[in-house]
Amino acid sequence: MEELFYIFSFIAIFSALMVVIMRNPLTSALYLILCFFALAGLYVMLDMQFLAAMQILVYAGAIMVLVVLVIMLLNISRIKNVKSDLHQKIIGILIALILFIEIIVYIYNGAQKNPTGIFTEALIKKVGNTKIIGQFLFTVYMLPFEIASVLLLVAIVGAYLFAKKKY
Amino acid sequence: MNNYLTVASIIFCIGALGVITRKNLIVVFMSLELMFNAANLGFVAASNYLNLISGDIFVIFIIVVAAAEAAIALGIAIAFYREKGTLDIDRANELKN
Repeated sequence: MEELFYIFSFIAIFSALMVVIMRNPLTSALYLILCFFALAGLYVMLDMQFLAAMQILVYAGAIMVLVVLVIMLLNISRIKNVKSDLHQKIIGILIALILFIEIIVYIYNGAQKNPTGIFTEALIKKVGNTKIIGQFLFTVYMLPFEIASVLLLVAIVGAYLFAKKKY
Repeated sequence: MNNYLTVASIIFCIGALGVITRKNLIVVFMSLELMFNAANLGFVAASNYLNLISGDIFVIFIIVVAAAEAAIALGIAIAFYREKGTLDIDRANELKN
């Protein structure tokens, strides 16, 4: 188990780095798909198989297909690739480093709460995580679920309006 | 749990680095997706550690919002390209003066 965690997190971090470094947007899109698959592997290790399936279906399936389609549609290789200036790079690395140190300090020095919930690993394995999530989604989180569907409808209309020729 | 949170924070910072440094609109959008995913991993790890289920429900809603955001962002990218003929985000400076 331990080795699997290291393998998956190494793949995730490496491909995340490649997304930022690579010059060609299509290459970074493919590396981003690899990163999503590695994160799905980490979800499986955390006993959330349903979320791993959602991750692969929605992110690697739907969203990345949309991104690759737009890259193809705009024919990016024809566009002159603008290099980011050194000044901006230094500031970016500095900000990311400071943010990282801050988060790490909080993770390792913060007071940790003890586990309080009832959904232990054994219970989730016994009932099945899909069943538990479904029960919660349609009882306690019913209103957010409905609002999410309205949000998707708004997104459809908004995307149509943006991509139209004349506003 | 600390291991998972460390991985999540590393991916989040890489995404932030991409948002700040890169100039291509679509690459900036992909770095944003990276940050979303780092937050998701943090949610799942914390909810697994605390024996709760609400973190996992949150991740589902984050995925829904990310899908909606992807549709809008790519629509904006197409409109921007049609307007400017480029995807350089430094050309989006109408509000500057």
